Amino acid sequence: MIKLTNVSKSYGKSQVKAVDSLSLEIKDGEIFGFLGPNGAGKSTTIKMITGILSPGEGVIEVDGVNIAENPTLAKSYIGFVPDNHETYETLKGIEYLNFIGTMYSVEQTALKSRIAEYAELFQLTDALPNMISSYSHGMKQKLMVIATLIHDPKVWILDEPLTGLDPQSAYQLKQLMRKHADCGNTVFFSSHVIDVVEKVCDRIGIINHGKLVAVDTLDNIRADKNVSLESLFLTITSAEETEA
Amino acid sequence: MKKYLSLVKLLFVQQYRIKPSGKKRKKGGTIALFVLLGLCFLPMLIGVFAAMYYLGQVSRGIADVGAVCAALIIICQGVVFVFGIPALISNVFTVKDADKLLFLPIRSASIFASKLTVVYLNEVITTAVTVIVILLPFGIGLGAGAGFYLLLIPALVLIPLLPMLLGCIIAVPLSALITKFSNNGIFKTVMQTVLYIILMAVYIAGMYYLGFFGGSSGDITGGADSGAILLEKLQQMSKYIKYVHSNYTLAVAMTSAAFGALSLNLVISVAENVFLFALVLLMSVPFYHRMLTVSVEGGGRGRHKKVNADELQVKNQGVVKELIFTDIKRVTRDSQMGFQCIMSLIILPLMVGIFALAFGMSAEDEGSILEILQVQPMYQLIAPIVFVGYMSMLGMTSNVLGIYPISRENKSIYIIKSLPLSFSKYLFAKVLLATLSMVISNIITCLLIVILFKVQWFYGILMLVTMALLGFGTMCIMTLVDLKNPKLGWTNFNQSLKNAKNSWIAMLVGFLCMIALAAVVAPCAVGWALTDGGWYMTMVMWLLIIGLSAGYAVVSYKVMASRAQRYFEQIEP
Repeated sequence: MIKLTNVSKSYGKSQVKAVDSLSLEIKDGEIFGFLGPNGAGKSTTIKMITGILSPGEGVIEVDGVNIAENPTLAKSYIGFVPDNHETYETLKGIEYLNFIGTMYSVEQTALKSRIAEYAELFQLTDALPNMISSYSHGMKQKLMVIATLIHDPKVWILDEPLTGLDPQSAYQLKQLMRKHADCGNTVFFSSHVIDVVEKVCDRIGIINHGKLVAVDTLDNIRADKNVSLESLFLTITSAEETEA
Repeated sequence: MKKYLSLVKLLFVQQYRIKPSGKKRKKGGTIALFVLLGLCFLPMLIGVFAAMYYLGQVSRGIADVGAVCAALIIICQGVVFVFGIPALISNVFTVKDADKLLFLPIRSASIFASKLTVVYLNEVITTAVTVIVILLPFGIGLGAGAGFYLLLIPALVLIPLLPMLLGCIIAVPLSALITKFSNNGIFKTVMQTVLYIILMAVYIAGMYYLGFFGGSSGDITGGADSGAILLEKLQQMSKYIKYVHSNYTLAVAMTSAAFGALSLNLVISVAENVFLFALVLLMSVPFYHRMLTVSVEGGGRGRHKKVNADELQVKNQGVVKELIFTDIKRVTRDSQMGFQCIMSLIILPLMVGIFALAFGMSAEDEGSILEILQVQPMYQLIAPIVFVGYMSMLGMTSNVLGIYPISRENKSIYIIKSLPLSFSKYLFAKVLLATLSMVISNIITCLLIVILFKVQWFYGILMLVTMALLGFGTMCIMTLVDLKNPKLGWTNFNQSLKNAKNSWIAMLVGFLCMIALAAVVAPCAVGWALTDGGWYMTMVMWLLIIGLSAGYAVVSYKVMASRAQRYFEQIEP
């Protein structure tokens, strides 16, 4: 479960809020899609939930743990796939997974079996003994996904996870997200690809200019507006632009 | 041409641009820091300036003053070469930005030309410094005419061309090797380090030949005229220097009083330098294109051997151990960081070796400087402190692990920030790694000092303790400095170092430590002399030094511990 209560964030001494009074609750067993135009505040929100950035105001709880008060425990519940694929390029794939396993205190037998399982699933086994710097964009993305799953996180956060993945791996990832949520965990992901969000998510949130402008289940959205998610997204964000 | 100039501007500005951080930069502090450092180095620069001025004076009236000037030009070119070759390799031949530039509507020849121009401009800047410190005072001392000073401007343009040609001759095969072993970071690091040591050895051999070290007859020990000895050496060199004709003609033009000789030699020198430049292009262009092809096509992707999941080495170890070993792997496998790191380990023992060589050389019928010093009553009192002061400053400045603990994380700092890792463990791992590397270097250094300089062994232990304490204290300060304002988002570690203040701050802190040491030693030395070498004065001095160093280490650690986490949390990747 992820709970954000009146969370705001400004960068440096800027008066402009990258995220403005955001309140949101994502329940266990749910896949939540986080949508918004470029610069809307998606990545800032994700970075605050994962503990990379400190929120200026408000409270963030991960599985009931306040991340500001107990960051180490809260972070141990999270698996985070970033959008930039910046990783330890001069490590080998297997070394990176060992590193992550140690940091999350994953027991060695479990670590070995999970690495074998996910590497096989994403067809990355052969590449693991090689330097990450020799990996393609998609391979790095797969490695990041595997690294987040080896400690079986209660909250799985993915920022633009499908970018760079081949169709087969993209399919596997969507299946994994569903499976992970069905096991009672929370999946939170941001994407620009509305089709994917429509197919995978139970509920969506749209953020624009740092404010959450819409949150609902896909079924409700479709029932209320009788429009596609894409046209709803464009309507909401363009209306915001006009008001701004 | 417009595209070429735009690219030159972009590449040139980019290497000096300081990445803006979230906070507004305090320019006053930066300026004050550089002014203070400038003041620290001023005596040394004034010393070189004065020596060159004196050399100019003693060169008056000699038959072939042009040859002496040509020898000085070679010295300038030596400096330009040593500083220029890493830039030549990393900017031109190790093509890393092909994917960012090749899709642009610019010919690859223009890209190459702009990169070479940027390297050349950097070499012109280095040349300007050497010209101000070496050639200008020589001309003043010589009482040279206006032609000499006017020709300093074309000299700025011409002097870097020979180092560029030599640089290409070395860089071309070296870059080929670097590319061949591109997946073996440690090999690349070792290769770079060996090359650097060879260059340094050549430089030292040259300096020794010129009599800057004590091996030549009577320069310091005999009290003879050191300027005259240097002149004699340069004149000996001039027999060979004439073969570097482009330099010789430039030097003759600069020192000619007659307009005709000046013009003729200048024209010949320009023509010869144009020829050198053509050679640079002839060598570089085809090799650059080859490297470009390799960088675009030879990524090595998809060439993975079949692996069974059971063969994978999965292991789980302690958090701190994992952090340290991961850090070591990342540093040593990155050729730039690895090189800096290995150099920081070996620079202190290397310098002790060089000093031993310099001071240990005996003249034909006299003892070496070292032998003369060793019989002085105060040698065992003062020598260890001099080493501690100098080595501490050098060690602090060069310890990349200690002065860039956070900046070297670069864009992947978010990984550490998102891990369920207590900050104290992370900090402990960083501090422990930097301390271990420093202590290893210090142990070897102190051992060498005891063996080569015949400093008594118990002073060696005291030196080690003092150096470790001072180093630890400074490392804590530098960790805090780096945490407060880390340099993240770099694409080239060496370029990033150029723009970072950390090394300068470390140097300044080291310099202040030296002053503090001198402040303790001076009254103790007086007391020692007044008490006819009373052992208790030596004891008091070392107690004071170790006590103050321990205090410095404890205070620095406490300051770091109290603020580090707050600064870490403020980092916004």
